[in-house]
This record gives sequence, C-alpha cells and structure tokens, in this order.
Amino acid sequence: MQIREYVIRRLLILPLILIGTSLIVFTLGRVGGNPIAIYLEHEMTPEEVAQLEDRYGLNDSLPEQYVAWLGGVLRGDLGFSGVSAAPVMDVLPRRLAATLELSIAAAIVAISMGIGLGTFAGARRDRLPDHLTRVFAISGAATPIFWFAIVMLIIFWVYLGWFPVGRSDATIFASIPHPTGVYTIDAVLAGSWTAFRDAIWHLVLPAVTLGYGATAIITRMMRSSLAEELNEDYVDAARAKGLPERLVLRRHARRNALIPTVTVIGLGFGFLLQGSVVVEIIFIWPGLGRWMADAVLRGDQATIMAYVLFTSILFLIVNLIVDILYAYLDRRVVLGG
Amino acid sequence: MTAAAPATAGEKTAALVASVEDLRVHFELKAGVLHAVDGVSFDIADGETLGLVGETGCGKSVTARSFLRLIPTPPGRYAGGRIRFWPKEARQSGGEPVDLLQVPTSDMLDIRGNRIAMIFQDPGKALNPALPIREQVAEVFYQHRTEDLLEAWNGRAPRPIRRAASQRAGKLERLAFKFPPLRSQSKRLKRRVDELVGDALAETQIHNPRKIMASYPHELSGGMKQRVMIAQALACNPDLLIADEPTTALDVTIQARILELIRELQHAHQTSVLYISHDLSLVRRICDRIAVMYAGRIAEIGTTQQVFHDPRHPYTQGLLAAVPSFAHRRGELAAIEGTVPELIDPDPSCRFHTRCAFATDICGRVDPVLDGRVAGRPVACHGYASPEELGVAAAELPHLDRSPA
Repeated sequence: MQIREYVIRRLLILPLILIGTSLIVFTLGRVGGNPIAIYLEHEMTPEEVAQLEDRYGLNDSLPEQYVAWLGGVLRGDLGFSGVSAAPVMDVLPRRLAATLELSIAAAIVAISMGIGLGTFAGARRDRLPDHLTRVFAISGAATPIFWFAIVMLIIFWVYLGWFPVGRSDATIFASIPHPTGVYTIDAVLAGSWTAFRDAIWHLVLPAVTLGYGATAIITRMMRSSLAEELNEDYVDAARAKGLPERLVLRRHARRNALIPTVTVIGLGFGFLLQGSVVVEIIFIWPGLGRWMADAVLRGDQATIMAYVLFTSILFLIVNLIVDILYAYLDRRVVLGG
Repeated sequence: MTAAAPATAGEKTAALVASVEDLRVHFELKAGVLHAVDGVSFDIADGETLGLVGETGCGKSVTARSFLRLIPTPPGRYAGGRIRFWPKEARQSGGEPVDLLQVPTSDMLDIRGNRIAMIFQDPGKALNPALPIREQVAEVFYQHRTEDLLEAWNGRAPRPIRRAASQRAGKLERLAFKFPPLRSQSKRLKRRVDELVGDALAETQIHNPRKIMASYPHELSGGMKQRVMIAQALACNPDLLIADEPTTALDVTIQARILELIRELQHAHQTSVLYISHDLSLVRRICDRIAVMYAGRIAEIGTTQQVFHDPRHPYTQGLLAAVPSFAHRRGELAAIEGTVPELIDPDPSCRFHTRCAFATDICGRVDPVLDGRVAGRPVACHGYASPEELGVAAAELPHLDRSPA
C-alpha cells in the first residue's frame, strides 16, 4: 500500500522534473547554438536565412518558442530530425528500442557479474580470489570506455572474428516483423531461432563492453558491503543456529549487503547511458546515443531535445525502481519525498 | 591442568555437560601472536549455571565462542586444549564426549543451535534487520527439527516438501510451491512452522506471538528482541545455553526480567548455562558457580558463596573491593592499580603480577597453575603453590595472608 502511494507520487512529479530538464536543455541550445544550423548552406542569401528563421519561429521571444516546442511535445510532435531527414517521432521509437536493448543487456551483464563477483570476493576477503577481483574491478573503473571499446573491437572482431559489429545481419533482420523494435524480443515473437541467435551474437560484445564499467562499480560496492556485513553479530547468530555457510551467506549477509549495492546500481545506469553514446558509435549500433552524437555534431536541436527528454525519462524510471527495491530490501526505510 | 570438581573422576564425567581443558585461542596479528585465551580450564556440570566473569578483553567472549567454533580462522587459531561436550544421550548412557574443537563441520552444524545454543550481547545486532522475526526463529526448526515438521505426512512427504523442511529447496521448487499440487502441502508445512515458532515465542512470555512473528527487528523493543533471541536459543531444548552478556545492552528494568526469564526457562528445559558477564552483582544473583577470568586465564573457580565470601586470588579480592555495596562508605571503593597487560607474545608469568600487591620475583617468571590442592578449590596463584614442586624456597612465594605491601 505504502509503496503504491509512493510510486504514484513519484510518477506525478515526473513531468515536473522533465519540464525542468527540457527548460535547461532548451536554454542551453538557444544560447550556445543556432537551431537552424543544420539547414543552412553557404550559398544561401540573407533573405533565405531570414525566411527560414521566420518559418521556425525564431523571431518570437524565447518563452514563446519554448511554449511552442512544449505544445508540440504534448501533441506528440517532437519536430523534424535533420540528421535522419524524417520527423523525430518516426525515428525515435526504433532508436530508443535499440538503445534499450543494448543498455538492458549491459545492465544484466553488470548486475549479475557485479553481484556475483562481489559476493565471491567479499566472502573471501583478503585472499587471492579477492585480490584478483579487485584488480579486475579497479581496472574496470579506471579504463576509459572509448579506449576499451576499441580494444575489444580489435581483439574480438578484427583478430579473432568471434563477434560481428553492428546490430544485425541485414537479411535476417529483414526476414522477421518488428512490432516492438527490440530485436531479441521480436525474434522470440516471430519464433525465429536464427534471428534470435543473430540478435544475441551481435549483442554480446557491445553489451559486455558497455557493462564493464558498471560491473566494476557494482563489484566493488558489493564486495566491501558484504565483507562488512559478514562482521556483523547477526551473521554469527545465524551460524550459532547451525545454518550452513551457504545459507548464512545467501539469506543473511548478502541480503543486507545488497542494500547499498542497489543504490549504486541506479547510479550505474546513468553510467551506462553515458557510455552507450561511445559504444554505439564504435560498434555501429543504431541507437539513441549514436543518433544524438550525429545531431550534436550537426547542430540538430530537435533531435538533441528528444534525446535528452527520453534519456531523462529512462533514468528517472530506473531510479524509481531502485528506490522501491531499496525499500523492499531495507524495511527500516520509510518511503517519502 | 584440569579444573578439579569436588567429586571423584568417575562420577565427575557422568555429571558434566562440558569440560574445557587448557583451551588456547590465539590471534595472528601484524604485531605478533595475541594470546587471547591462554590455558583456560573449567567444567560445567549438568543443570548448573556457571558464571564466567572478567573485564572487557579478558577472553571470556572468545572462550564462549570457541564452544561453537565461531572464532574466524584466520586470524584466530585454536592453538591447543580441548572442549569436551556430553550431549544428553552421552550423559544418560555414559557415552563418549565429543571434542568441540575437533568434530567435523557437519557435526558442528548439528550441535549449533540444537545441542548448544547462544544468546548474544546486543539483541539489536544479533537479529537480521532484513528478515521478519518469523523467518529467523523458523530457521532453527527447519535446520534441526525437520522430522518434527513433517510429522503430519507420516513419512510420505513428497521430495520437494522434504527438501523445503530442511531448507534445501531450490529456486524452482520454491516456485512450484506457489502452484498446485504442492501449494496446499507447502502451506501446511508453513502452518506447522508457524505453530512451533508461535509456541517458542509464547514460552518467553511474549503475549502476541502472531504479531511479533510478522514484525521486523527494528519494530521491537530491546527487551522484546532479547526474548526472541532466547526463544530461538531454547527452541530445540539445548543441553547448554551460552549467554554472552545477554542483559548488558538492555535497560536496567528490563535486565531483571530477562534474567528471571532465563532462569525460569533453564529450569523448565533442564539446560546448563554458561553465563558470561563483567557484572559481578548480576552473576551473583543467578550463578551456582563462578570462574573468574583475567587476561586470558582463569584466576579462580568456586561456588558463588566461596568466590564472594572467601576470594582467594588477589585479582578477585581486588575486584570485590571495587564493587559498591551498602557496607562501603562514600569514597571507600578501591580501584585495582595499573592496567591489563599486553597479551601479544607474553612471557611466562602470572598475568596479574604487575598489578598485584603480593607479587614476588617468581610471579614475573613462572606461569601459575590452576591448582585446587592447596587452596581447596582451583586458584591460579603462586601464593597457594607448593615450593617443592616449583623448586624454590618457601620465602620466595608471595604471602597472601599478610596485609598487602
């Protein structure tokens, strides 16, 4: 009951946060760049430029322009994407689905590896497996993703040829319908084993690359919080009851160690979104990040605004889930605010 | 070096629940080897309450935890000695004891919480904050009373239910419990566990066990939490209950009630108790016998009467002089001079010699032996030793009967 109220309250606040975010981005865009830069060409006469400015309402005041943009968003019109030469709303769902697929795959890698490795290391504190895990985790946190992605690409694509780049094999991709836009799910829906294998095969390398940094963060947190929990009295009390070590670890220590780790997972997701831009560029992944990078380079403001809006929504939803998980794990937490 | 009980050897073993002999627990630290417990010996007789008293850091908790092998190794190490334990069956049929330091881990798991249970100092920390009380108490039954839980099935419980009753059900099985045909059986198992948990809680005078079962530890008071711990500890009728300062973290008003409860349940369950405390007045109220510990060793052992009215070891004498009572006038309390010695790589000596008013040269060179022959009961002090055995002149031994220097 309490959790449901909290979710509703948070969802009601969500639009307000989004308006705030869009205001900041809108202002930065207008201050730092020219909204019609992407349509300008060297041969244009000043009259033609003025005509363009007039057409996009750039002669109105900034608040008027913002309201006009917001009105469009509410009607489901996010403007025209210059880089894709199509309305934003025509391109966005496909791009969003591709990014979601990649970042969820990366999150699965990061969460399962992070919690698994962290538990493994935390339960063997200061012994060899722990030291090795820490080396792995520290390198993960310290390696810049653009460099790591290129190295992964060179090793696994160029030399070993184990994994492909891109998102799919074009013919296989075209052979199934795409109702959701998420390739793996579409393949399952279509019942095509070939397409599913193709999807996974393309997904592994970018997902692991993208997930590495977050894996490192989660591993470190899980390791240290588990090692700390194992010193608590209730762990000894659980042992004194005659529980085997497996249950002491799983039911008692790990559950409490997950509490701080879950918080870090929420932050790690922001890390993933950020990294997805680089990974999508390097692995030729047709997602939001790549789209946004093109848009930034060419000054396509409608696309940038759409990107910011949707990544904000993603981030906020993930953190809402994290808060709920947190309250579920730690019963002392009273949700609010 | 065995602590002598006032009976002959044959009868003695029959009446004992546990016997600690020359227990040594060391910790390997960077600075050296810490001799936290350094040759501790005492017996616990069937049905008695033995108080293990000493100041913080004297090794009493380490001794207690050694019974259940709860010392983390490394850095800890059981460096010597043994803890013999006679489970009920062994006591009744004159069977062999087990050495708690040597039994295989699987046997140890069966002893923990079942034959020997433990109550911890701070119930707020000894309960898992993330699990409801029901789950925590239920674990004891799942772990040690599987057969009892499956009683209603008459030995024909399906495999997944049997596995669930001993906490071995996997994720898939737990999923299957949510659907027929296992659903009703799994519910029946849960109801049986609820029953046992409820009974165990009710026994500790918790009036609304159902409500408490659904609560999380942070929703309960300290006294209530300690009741839950006691219920959990006594759930399986253990032969020995180790209470490690169970009332230290509680309000004074609650302390008395918890103490009373432990004593009552001890009689009802016929459980022996090893009661660890630094609080002499408290130990005096509930213990039959007392072992005084100082710096990793036993100073003396005696009945409560003997220790309080006729303390033999200079440390005990000093300790009792520091306890306030109505006989003392304001400002008359005596503190023991000096501080507890470093226990890292200690040389042979009486650990108390630096603070002892009677100490002579030999106290700084030779380990005293816990010997009951001269003093009439086990006292580890050269003042009671025989000069012939030590090979020194009688004059070199401390004279306890003179007034302190």
